[in-house]
Amino acid sequence: MHKRTFHLRDIILLALIAIIFGVIYYAAAFVYNGLTVLLTPVGYGPIANDLTMGIWCMAGPLAGFLLRIPGSSFLGEFLGAAVEMFLGDQWGASNLISGAVQGIGTELGFTLTLYKVYNWLTVILTSVTTTIITFAWDWFRNGYSHFAPSMLVIMLVARFLSMLVFSGILVKLIVNLLTRAHVIRS
Amino acid sequence: MNPSFKLILALVISLEITFTNHLGGNLIIIAAALTYLIIKRVAWKKLCRLLLITLIPAAALFMTIGYFSPERDLFFAWVLVSRLYCYVSVGAAVTLTTNKLSLIRSLEQNCHLPSKFAYGFLAALNLIPRIKQNVITIRVAGQMRGVTLHWWSPTLYFKAILSAIAWSDQLAQAMETHGFKEGAPRSAAQVIEVDKRDWLTMLLILLIIQIVIIALP
Repeated sequence: MHKRTFHLRDIILLALIAIIFGVIYYAAAFVYNGLTVLLTPVGYGPIANDLTMGIWCMAGPLAGFLLRIPGSSFLGEFLGAAVEMFLGDQWGASNLISGAVQGIGTELGFTLTLYKVYNWLTVILTSVTTTIITFAWDWFRNGYSHFAPSMLVIMLVARFLSMLVFSGILVKLIVNLLTRAHVIRS
Repeated sequence: MNPSFKLILALVISLEITFTNHLGGNLIIIAAALTYLIIKRVAWKKLCRLLLITLIPAAALFMTIGYFSPERDLFFAWVLVSRLYCYVSVGAAVTLTTNKLSLIRSLEQNCHLPSKFAYGFLAALNLIPRIKQNVITIRVAGQMRGVTLHWWSPTLYFKAILSAIAWSDQLAQAMETHGFKEGAPRSAAQVIEVDKRDWLTMLLILLIIQIVIIALP
């Protein structure tokens, strides 16, 4: 496959995907808030963040699978976060940084396959890289060094499962439908 | 202030406070951001909603670190709460006082964002109402066939993305037939300038923030 760069059509498509998911991300904050309210009294409040993290990373893998251009996964995820920030949710300016971090995480999964493999292996790889990178970022952002080790293990597992289900399996199912409709070159 | 400068400033501040644990510094930044928002006469309702909704993640972090973690470090718990409020107030200081059109224009003219990106984003942003309508249509069409499409249904996304692909094709074609050419030099309908005052304000704020975060005890 020869190297492709972004053209106007790709950029508009990327931005449209970012908008669709930006709205989803904004809505996911309500799921997050509900979970947090439920879990905080038992001391597991921060796990809500890990449980919903997979939803917040869906745009990246989807853009990566759809456009297959190096950088598309990062841009899709980052723009989605930018849209979320402008819709005005509770994370404010940190959306942009989280978006960039998540974008690097999802992009890395595709980079590891050298942008040549687009199957379930890629799904697993992006889930793993995104889990690790976003967890490392939250380590500083949310002060994980002060958490109990057992809690951190539960959080890491919860995050990976969420990543696998939403930005992994759900995205792959969407991609499968798109492939069957012949809009993705397989 | 120049929109791009505002955005860059917000990013720098957010990054800095993530890696420092300075309660006093965070509180000063929150106060400054809120003062700026009040001076700019931002709608009270929007501001109060943002501050209230941030209580939820803030309370979760506070409870977990203050009462359920091994060290029960209350000071650090307060640092994290103030950090979340920093993010949201600094973010609001950008998003509630800048319109998207001038921000994208400024990114193109002042920060050398390629025009295909700037106009690609703008074209997509203008489709937001149609995207919303499209999602409603897809769900109603599903209900007519007795299928309920939830937010986790792949079919919902599949159909929305099919529309997005069609729209991006049509829009790109339309823009190119109207003379848009990737990478060609362009003139600007509305020139957004960066003057000395913008540079001075940004550097001054950056300097003050370094003093507040690093130099203050």
